[in-house]
Amino acid sequence: MADKILPKDKIPGFIDALQKQFVVVAPVERTDAPAEFKEVAPGDNLILDGSQMMMPPKDYLLPRYETLLKVSARPGEVEVQPVVPENKPRVMLGMWLPDAQAIQVLDRVFLDGKFKDPYYAARRENTTLVAVMPAEMRWSWFCASTDDVEKWKPNVDAIMYDLGDRFYIEVTSPKGEAVVEWDGLSAPSSDDVENKNRLWEQFKSHNVLPFSDGKFYERLAWDHPIWAEIAQKCIGCGVCSYMCPSCSCFDIQDEVCGTCIERYRCRDTCQFEEFTLMGSGHNPRPDQLPRSRQRLMHKFKYQHEQYGVVGCTGCGRCVELCPVNVDIRDVLNKVCAEREPEPTT
Amino acid sequence: MFEVENKIRQEAKRVLENGLVELVIGWAPGSVPFRTTPVFIDRPEDVDKLVWNPVCANNLAVYLPKIAKDRKVGIVAKPCDIRSIVALIQENQVKRDNIYIIGLGCAGVVDPSRLELAGVRLSDVTALDWAADGIKVITLNGEQLLKSTDVHRDMCLACTKREPALFDVKFGEAVLPSEVKPRELPELPEERQKYWSEQFSKCIRCYACRQICPNCYCEVCFADRVEPKWTAKKAVPEENWMFHATRAMHLAGRCIQCGECERVCPVGIRIAELMREMAEAVKNKYDYEAGDPNEEAPLLGTFRENDVDPAQHS
Amino acid sequence: MSEDAVLVEEKAELESSESTQQERTWQPIILGILCNWCSYAGADLAGTSRLQYPESIRIIRVPCSGRVDPAFVLKAFRKGFDGVMVLGCHPGDCHYAKGNYYARRRITLLQDLLKALGLPEERFHFEWVSASEGNRFAELVQEFTEKIRRLGPFKGVVTPEKKTL
Repeated sequence: MADKILPKDKIPGFIDALQKQFVVVAPVERTDAPAEFKEVAPGDNLILDGSQMMMPPKDYLLPRYETLLKVSARPGEVEVQPVVPENKPRVMLGMWLPDAQAIQVLDRVFLDGKFKDPYYAARRENTTLVAVMPAEMRWSWFCASTDDVEKWKPNVDAIMYDLGDRFYIEVTSPKGEAVVEWDGLSAPSSDDVENKNRLWEQFKSHNVLPFSDGKFYERLAWDHPIWAEIAQKCIGCGVCSYMCPSCSCFDIQDEVCGTCIERYRCRDTCQFEEFTLMGSGHNPRPDQLPRSRQRLMHKFKYQHEQYGVVGCTGCGRCVELCPVNVDIRDVLNKVCAEREPEPTT
Repeated sequence: MFEVENKIRQEAKRVLENGLVELVIGWAPGSVPFRTTPVFIDRPEDVDKLVWNPVCANNLAVYLPKIAKDRKVGIVAKPCDIRSIVALIQENQVKRDNIYIIGLGCAGVVDPSRLELAGVRLSDVTALDWAADGIKVITLNGEQLLKSTDVHRDMCLACTKREPALFDVKFGEAVLPSEVKPRELPELPEERQKYWSEQFSKCIRCYACRQICPNCYCEVCFADRVEPKWTAKKAVPEENWMFHATRAMHLAGRCIQCGECERVCPVGIRIAELMREMAEAVKNKYDYEAGDPNEEAPLLGTFRENDVDPAQHS
Repeated sequence: MSEDAVLVEEKAELESSESTQQERTWQPIILGILCNWCSYAGADLAGTSRLQYPESIRIIRVPCSGRVDPAFVLKAFRKGFDGVMVLGCHPGDCHYAKGNYYARRRITLLQDLLKALGLPEERFHFEWVSASEGNRFAELVQEFTEKIRRLGPFKGVVTPEKKTL
């Protein structure tokens, strides 16, 4: 597969060329806030080098708020109308590599198995994923601790390595070929290849933490004292899961407005009390301890058992943004240091 | 810094050993040198975990209503955190007798994201300290002196109440900011509406602002109620407006200006700016300041017959 | 259907009839939150005295102006009412002795909040109306309706380009 060089001053031309074939989705700069994945419109300032905190790409694929169907009722007439987004060829650019891998986790939830989610599928199926490898590793990343990152490459279609004044576009799947068709791109020199490889090696060795032995999911224990320790300081907000690129929990609500009904899907998280609150008033996770435990056990143990992928890809957003500095890297190190592996059930 | 830190540790040890409190809440080193994390100490031998430095951001009073309900608790607190404690006492959420306050004079707290903007590589930082005229950042490559105005949190740059207002023991010196940062809210109503529309449209409804707020202690928040439904769960600008406007109303005359809501917001909504605006209106109309131990009752829990009258015709 | 939904439906109906019949002039929809003992009785008096006042007002009766949660007003604006009136007993006249004094502080701060948020303050009106002031009630509604008519339809709590619904 032919890798290409994209000089940074040619980015506008590159985007224009892509837009002739695809709907281009990329992180768009906002006031005082992390960039957000949006369909690129004229005048948008794109942040493609992955150097800043950005909203997770799931915000585009699984929007924070999405109408599922609308019902309109007039006397003697009820009309139900599903609102499924159009399935168009799309390219998503500028996401961190761990974010791209996190989409694998979302795919398992929304595309695998008996039910395929038509809303997610419409945005996802025809989408080419182009990840970015920033020039400098973020301090909070611990991707290589969660998985063998070499396995991630085929899960994206191309990777853009930031080499200073240029991007090295590595095509990692046949689908990715379409991204490098533009004739404004040039062939890489041997220096470029070397720099790209160096960046990859840097990524592979960045923050490989003590817990990482490829079997840590077997060591996570339900009754570990650390859950109580976290629960004591956790304030029960949703920052970790709402900013997480792989957290996929949602709520579905109906809203009545005069003669119409809107059914919509919005974010929800296991960290909230209402998440498990039953109509009867019973709550199987009555306090913070089981809630804090659930998030980590789900990512690192249950999802691995269920889908064979680790639910966390080490993007570090929760590490950076947790209001009380609960650092999941520390938690895993502590849990895994003290336990012998338990046989998986 | 280390002198004050040692005093905190000694005092925590003393009150734990002689049984004055069962638990001390303070800050411990975070997972990285530019963060700290809340810590709950119940054994005298653990007091060396306690730290005091320019990144001791958390307002620990948020834990008190639950933790100090029926036992005596010590708390290490900055002046703003102490105002929260005062407000909680005035609103009968905690008993004064249950709280042992280790008060600290403050010189302002650092916002780590501003360190990055000031050109510091966060992964190189090993420690931070207050210096005579700013913040000293110790990195792998040596020391760097940064101006307070460049790295402090906005709320700290606007804060002039840096002496503890209520305490059982007090350490450290307060350092006042050289100038008070003005509010940035536009004057014209249309521009204000535009400003807040932009700000609230970013909200993802993670409720970090509410959860971190010591004054948001409602058992069930209006935003979580299903019947009556005050605001829908979906994060759209209108519903976000309803959430933030109602929350601001609930905190009017109660917010003590610690700025935690703004610190924890993952999308940078300038919530504290709204809180400041409201606090100023309260000050002008009622000469009342939330968290002042000299106030007898919460602002909205009392009245005077000659209060400002909002009726337009009378 | 909840009270809220009925009100919104009324508004929606009015708006749709407005769009279908262009010749019909726009009518503001105003929410009135009235204390049972004074202002609501005042409104009643206006009615029994056969005084004319605009039908633009939708009245919710509350036991006391002290019952008025500022969130009622915020939600009314959120749902798109063109104006909101809160009316209560004159200071000193409260049926429950001091409910309106508490209300007074809350409403004052609510006005400050609306100002801080950049909402048109003129769309919110607070007034003391006693049970004997039927005349005054009718006049107030008349004046407020005229004011709102001049201001035009309320464009929403967020600016039009940020609107989703």
